[in-house]
Amino acid sequence: MKELAKPLVRASPPKPPGPESKWRQIRKDKLLYLLLTPAVALVFIFSYLPMPGILVAFKDYDVFKGFWGSDWVGLRHIREVFELPMMTEAIGQTLLLSTLTLLVCFPAPILLALLLNELRMQLFKRFAQTLLYLPHFLSWISVIGIAYAFYSLYGPLNDIRLWLLGPDTERTMFLADKSFFIPNVLLLSLWKETGWSTIIFLAAIASVDPQLYEAAYMDGAGKFKQALHVTLPTILPTVMIMLIFQLGHLFQSNFELIYGLQNPYVDTEVISTIIFKQGIQQGAYALSTALGFIQGLIALLLTVGANAVSKKLTSSGIW
Amino acid sequence: MRSKTNGYRLFNICNIAFIALLSLLSLYPYLNTVAVAFNDGRDSMLGGITFYPRVPTLENFSTLLRDDSIVRALFVSIAKVVSGTLIGLIVQFSAGYALTKKRLIGRNALLLYLIVPMFFSGGLIPMYLTYSELGLLNNFLVYVLPGAFAFFNVIIIRTYLYTIPDSLEESAKIDGANELTILWRVILPLSRPILATIALWTAVMHWNDWTTTLNFVTKTSLHTLQFKLMLMIKESDMIASLVQEAAQRGEADPGRVIRVTPEGIRAAQVVVTTIPIILVYPFLQKHFIKGVLIGSVKE
Repeated sequence: MKELAKPLVRASPPKPPGPESKWRQIRKDKLLYLLLTPAVALVFIFSYLPMPGILVAFKDYDVFKGFWGSDWVGLRHIREVFELPMMTEAIGQTLLLSTLTLLVCFPAPILLALLLNELRMQLFKRFAQTLLYLPHFLSWISVIGIAYAFYSLYGPLNDIRLWLLGPDTERTMFLADKSFFIPNVLLLSLWKETGWSTIIFLAAIASVDPQLYEAAYMDGAGKFKQALHVTLPTILPTVMIMLIFQLGHLFQSNFELIYGLQNPYVDTEVISTIIFKQGIQQGAYALSTALGFIQGLIALLLTVGANAVSKKLTSSGIW
Repeated sequence: MRSKTNGYRLFNICNIAFIALLSLLSLYPYLNTVAVAFNDGRDSMLGGITFYPRVPTLENFSTLLRDDSIVRALFVSIAKVVSGTLIGLIVQFSAGYALTKKRLIGRNALLLYLIVPMFFSGGLIPMYLTYSELGLLNNFLVYVLPGAFAFFNVIIIRTYLYTIPDSLEESAKIDGANELTILWRVILPLSRPILATIALWTAVMHWNDWTTTLNFVTKTSLHTLQFKLMLMIKESDMIASLVQEAAQRGEADPGRVIRVTPEGIRAAQVVVTTIPIILVYPFLQKHFIKGVLIGSVKE
């Protein structure tokens, strides 16, 4: 992003061209503008055109009256978001799940990257990485399908339980038990993304100056102390940037995973599943838009806030 | 620096063991699903299936593929991947190329225009209402057009194109090539590596996507394989009807016991849905890592 901002403040070319020469330049470059047209049109249609639709949150949206014909209702739907139990519960669950995900799934790849970095056998390392990256490429719904086989009544997990606890143990339906829902969300997220997320940290670790390790070694630091006092501080900017991105997504919990794991026994709702069910399935457009609006607003505030804090503390940020 | 203390040696051994275990855990659940998919359904219900089918059979797959809607979903998925990737590449490459030209008047304004949607979006419902007005609901185009522009990919393409020396373009110009010829005959062939990366990236995204179907498509003839898998996981009636059909075929063919189970069919569907990814994975890995790293440099 930094790179984008730069040209904006750069001084204009030495001789400010008059409007005529500007037009001549544009005409000369018409091929370039032609090449940009599809992108500009697609972004307009699919990103800018829906934006005013956010105002539906402040209207009593009626399909027959349409967007402009519907009456304004002010903040009624926004208030409802904080008053209806279904909504407040979903917001609470989202916060809980997101915080846990952040605490568990964010540090995991950093640790794994540090461990991978200690491997000296290159062939084994590459082999391990190949296997660890694999789950990232499967869709969330395939991951849930795999979980269904793995967790099934006669699947490996129950087999292991029986093997450990004796053959009289009752087989458990892990996916039909609400108390396993949060652990499942965390476990599946870890399984799918931890390996892949190491890439960016591994690249950051690889860029650490080897002289720093030598100096630390001279000062008597062992491997562990080197990781703590050399590697971690050097990759901190990368960690902060990844954290800011994560915080931006904090409030839009993983819809695919949570919707996929829901079943008649596990009915935990989060913001994104409520928006889908209330909005698209039930047609409560105004209320869902209001919920989405608040979600987006918080995401933006979190990104901006995290960026500001990070800039103050570590002088690294995404802009 | 290598410090060869005993403690470090112990750590090394534990580290290798731990990473080997994690790698195994990354693969094992998938292997188990494949084993269940190729195993006799009744036999799977006894438990104890590990990573190979104990009573091998193709019954689960034949039951699955005998269903026309699954075969149709396969073709929809393929059409989505091919057209989505092709159109995405054209849109993103041409935008990325145009944005490399510093002389382009309004370049910064255009970049700003393209980047704003990364931070503000209308959200799902306004998107749904817009698509509905554009007639994109239950329309194959909803799979292709909304995702055709991806800012991140454009930036990666642009970053790559910056590494092609200007002198190449200039010498082609001196040789009398016009702008279009340069793009087609000089820039495009040189961009093959980055195009391969973006193509794989986009193709995997299109193949794995099922929420577009969930949100914007109700017509069954437009269902994709991933969406079918979702239905099999979440709606037991679909899978029950497949099992029943298999049972009826069994009645017509005396002496054959019906051995398919919902679990077996579901596992087979997981295998059908993931097999293209697994097959291209060796190529994927290299290209994906490259893409991630190019992208991160610019962030």
